[in-house]
Amino acid sequence: MAGKNKVGEYTGAPADRSAAAAARPVAKWLKRLGLLPWAAPALLFMLCFAFYPLGYSLYISFFNYSLTDPTQAQTFTGLANYLKAFADPAFRVAALNSVLFVILAVGAQTVLGLAIAVLLNRDRPGTPLVRTFLLAPLTLTPIVVALVWRALYNADYGVVSYYLKALGVNIGRGPIGEPSTALVALVIVDVWQWTPLVALMLLAGLRSQSADLFEAAQIDGASGWQQFWCVALPLLRPILIVALLIRTMDVFKLFDSVYIVTGGGPGYATEVMNHYIFKTGLTFFDMGYAAAMSNLLLVLIGLFTAVYFRAIGQLGVTQ
Amino acid sequence: MRRHQRAADVITYTLLALIMGFFLFPIVWLLLTSLKPARDAFTIPPVWIFRPILDNFRAVFSMVPVAAYLKNSLTIALGTTALSLVLGVPAGYGLARTASRAAGNSALLMLAIRMAPPVALLIPFYLVMRDMRLLGTYLAVILLQSVFNTTFVTWMMRGYFLSLPADLELAAMTDGCTRFGAFWRVALPLAVPGLATAAIFTFTFSWNDFLLPMLLSGRTTRTLTLGILETMSTYEIGWNNMAAIGMITILPVLLLGYILQPYYVRGLTLGAVRE
Repeated sequence: MAGKNKVGEYTGAPADRSAAAAARPVAKWLKRLGLLPWAAPALLFMLCFAFYPLGYSLYISFFNYSLTDPTQAQTFTGLANYLKAFADPAFRVAALNSVLFVILAVGAQTVLGLAIAVLLNRDRPGTPLVRTFLLAPLTLTPIVVALVWRALYNADYGVVSYYLKALGVNIGRGPIGEPSTALVALVIVDVWQWTPLVALMLLAGLRSQSADLFEAAQIDGASGWQQFWCVALPLLRPILIVALLIRTMDVFKLFDSVYIVTGGGPGYATEVMNHYIFKTGLTFFDMGYAAAMSNLLLVLIGLFTAVYFRAIGQLGVTQ
Repeated sequence: MRRHQRAADVITYTLLALIMGFFLFPIVWLLLTSLKPARDAFTIPPVWIFRPILDNFRAVFSMVPVAAYLKNSLTIALGTTALSLVLGVPAGYGLARTASRAAGNSALLMLAIRMAPPVALLIPFYLVMRDMRLLGTYLAVILLQSVFNTTFVTWMMRGYFLSLPADLELAAMTDGCTRFGAFWRVALPLAVPGLATAAIFTFTFSWNDFLLPMLLSGRTTRTLTLGILETMSTYEIGWNNMAAIGMITILPVLLLGYILQPYYVRGLTLGAVRE
C-alpha cells in the first residue's frame, strides 16, 4: 500500500521529472518483490482458472439458474439457495454423512496406521518387502479400486459377501445393499486405499526419533509400553496432526468410490456432500443450488483446516 | 527371555501376514479375475485355482477402443504434466528464493486451492468451458487438472529448492550469470531428482483421474478410466472384462509408483514428511 501512495505523489509533476522520480520507487518496489514475479504466470493461471470460476460460483449461488430451463433465465433470488440447503433433508443427511465419514475413516486410518508403523519399526527379515507392498494401494487408480470393491461386495456373486455368509454373518442385500452397513462398507474402501499412507508417514516419524531417548527411558525403568506411550507418541504428534489434516481434506473430496460403489444409496445412506453437489449440478443441472452447496462445503472444509492449523501453530511446527 | 522374544516374533509375523492379506487381497482378486475364463468369474463358492487365459484381454480390445483411450489418457496426462511443470517449477523457485510476506501468502493461496474439492471448481469451470466452446476437448481437461497439479508442483519444487543452497546461484551471478542463467545452469540441474518426482506424480494423478474427464472430455477424447465403465453392464456382469481393462489401467501407475518408492510419502504430503 505504501508504495502505491508514493507513486501517487508524483502524478502532478512535469513529465520529464516524474519519469525519473517515479522510476526510483518503482525500482525499489520491484526489488522488494524479489523473485515473486517468477510465480506470476502460475498465479495468473490460478486467477483465470481457479479464482474466476470460484467467484463465478459465488455469483450464481445467488441466482435461480437451471441449465434445463429452455429460457436459461437467471433470476436473482438472494440467499434462497443457501436457505434451501439448510431446509433440504437430503443435504442435511449428506453433510452429516460427510462428517461421519471423516470421523470413521480418519479415525480407523490413524489407529491402524499407527499399529502398522510400530510393527514395521523394528527391522525384521521381510519388513522391507511389506513396506514395498504397502505402497501398492496408494498408486492404484481409485476408479479401479472402487469397481473391485463393488464386485467383492456384490450380494449374489461377491467374494466378501460369500465368505461373510460362510462365517455365519448374513447381511440381507449384501454389505452395500443394506442401509445399516453401506457407509461402513465404503469407509473400508477408503481405509484400504489410504491407511498405508498414514502408516508410512508415522513410520518415517518413528525412524527419525533418536535411540538415545529410549535408552534413557529404559535406564529410568520405563517398560516398552511406557516408552511408546510417554516418549514415542508425544514426539510423533506433529506428524500425526499433518497426517490427520491431509486425510481429512482428502476424505472431504471423496467422490469416485461413492459414485461407483453405492451411488449414494441405498436411499441416502451413503450420500456425501461432494456426490450430492455433483448430482444436483451435473445430473439435474440446478447450477445455482449446486454452487450454493459447494460454497457451504468450502466453508466446512475451511473450519476443519482452521482447527488443524491452530493445533499445528500451538505445537510450534512450521514447514 | 528368549521364549518371550519367540512369542513376540510369532505375534508380529501373524499380524503382518493379516495386514498383507487385507491390503493385497483386492489386487490379487483383480489379477486373477482378469485371467479367469468367463464362466469361472461368477462361480460361488469362488474358484481360486484355474488355468489362466488371456481371452478377457482380447475381448476387451474388441469391446472398447482401448488403443484410442490409451492415447487420450496419455495425451491428457502428458499435457497436464507439461503445463504444470512449466508453470509450477519457476513459481516454486521464485517462492523459495523470496523471503517476503507476499511470497508466503502466495504459497498459502496455492495450498488453499489444492484443498478445495474438485466438484466446487468443476461446476463453474464447466459453465466457463461451455461458453468458450471448449467442452469435449483435451484442453478443457488439461486446464482444470493443471490447476490442481500446478499447486502440487509449486509446493514440491519450493521445498526442493529450499533444500538447495542459494550460495551457488549467487556465486554464478557474481561471475556474470543473469538470474535466469543461474536458475537454468545451476539450480535446475541440481533439482533434476525433484523435477522427475514432481513430473511422475503429476502424470499419475492425471492418469488416475476420473471425475474431470467424465464431465469435460468428449466422445473423441475419452480416457481409459472412463472406458473401464463401458465394460460393466447394468446387470453387474462382465467383471472379467472390467478386470482386464483395469489391469491395463493400473500397470503403468504401479510401475511408476515402484520407481518413486523412496519419495512416495514425501510427495503425497507435499514435503511435510521426510523419509
